[in-house]
Amino acid sequence: MDQLILAAEECDIANEVVCVPANVLDLFEFNSVPVFIGLGAVAVVLLMYFALRKPKLVPGKFQAAVESLMSIVTDNIARDVIGPKGVKYIPYLLSLFFFIWAGNLMELIPGINFPYTSRMAIPLTLAVITWIIFVVEGIRKQGLHFFTDLIWPSSVPVALRPLVGLIEFVSTIVVRPFSLTVRLFANLVAGHVMLALLLGSAGFFLLGVIGGDISILRGSIGAAWFVVGVAIFLFELLVGFLQAYIFTLLTAVYIDSSINPQH
Amino acid sequence: MNADVLILAAEEAGGEGIDLLIPTIPELVGGILAFAVVFVVMWKFAWPQLQELLENRQKAIAGQIQEAEAIKAEAQSLLDDYRQQVAGAKSEANQIVEAARTQADTVKADLIAKAQTEAESIVGKAREDASSEKSRAMTEARQEVANLSIDLAEKVVGNSLDRAAQQSLVDSYLANLEGA
Repeated sequence: MDQLILAAEECDIANEVVCVPANVLDLFEFNSVPVFIGLGAVAVVLLMYFALRKPKLVPGKFQAAVESLMSIVTDNIARDVIGPKGVKYIPYLLSLFFFIWAGNLMELIPGINFPYTSRMAIPLTLAVITWIIFVVEGIRKQGLHFFTDLIWPSSVPVALRPLVGLIEFVSTIVVRPFSLTVRLFANLVAGHVMLALLLGSAGFFLLGVIGGDISILRGSIGAAWFVVGVAIFLFELLVGFLQAYIFTLLTAVYIDSSINPQH
Repeated sequence: MNADVLILAAEEAGGEGIDLLIPTIPELVGGILAFAVVFVVMWKFAWPQLQELLENRQKAIAGQIQEAEAIKAEAQSLLDDYRQQVAGAKSEANQIVEAARTQADTVKADLIAKAQTEAESIVGKAREDASSEKSRAMTEARQEVANLSIDLAEKVVGNSLDRAAQQSLVDSYLANLEGA
């Protein structure tokens, strides 16, 4: 295991045959995360630009695909969850969805293999923005009732109100941004670690066999890791989309609870 | 094993241990700026473009449906007209055929009547011709008989006879014969 860690991490000081940098920019030894974040934003901007610069009434395949993705947010999330008032929040929800998805997909792009959403800064930033919108809209629509209804819920027996109110306040106001953050962060970190371990191990064993340092029998473990790694790779495709969808959906649900409290 | 994995993940991501959970300033600033750019693009470009596109598409589809309905109504009206015209044409054709049949019957009856009349006329004329020929033949025969009789009588008597008186006598005789 130590060898594997060294091989994946610090191959310059290890005497192993495997020497694969975690990503291309590691070669230049500077913090590549902001660059990846910028790349993700540029990818989203370019996607929107090329899909919608000259939109056609009868769309081509590319435009239809982007429109379908956008309709997931505009129709299935904004309008279905929030209702007609949700239209106002569509630009924010679209930004969330595509920015997170682009970040998640970076895990699977050869040469990058790093989801910027697995860095605490990104999920936390997005969750805090969502939290601010959620609280500000709640106060704007409901005034102080936004807080008092949470702390002193009228639908609960009086004796239980202090306890339920405390739980509601903490879960709604305090925990929500962290749960949003950790859900995305943990999923992407887990996926990233699994992929790095499985494919790193596969590479370590298979290249060892080629180099003659590892027997074929032991090297077959690498083949097994490779197969599982490919399966996880495909699974991460789904996870990347799903986590972007879930983050956006929960944002819509929170906004809805602020501006449509009767729901 | 788990500790190793975490160490690996933390180091790959550029941090160790608790650092993994603490956002760095460059990443925070980069994240906020990048997201702001994406948001502005969505807010000012992508969403308005999509809205306009969907509205135009909605209008186009509604217009096409309306147009299709108008064309369908026109086609239905044309079809009704054609059906009416075909029905009229059939009726007219039947009338024409019926009239032609009636006319043909009339013509046929006329032709038959005319033919009959003509045939009767031909037969009558033939009869008249035959009768006139008969009487002419009778006159000639009578004249011949009278001449022969006179010639015969002259040869018997040996003298010539008064031809006019004899002729009158023969005629009177023949008249008596016809009368008898």
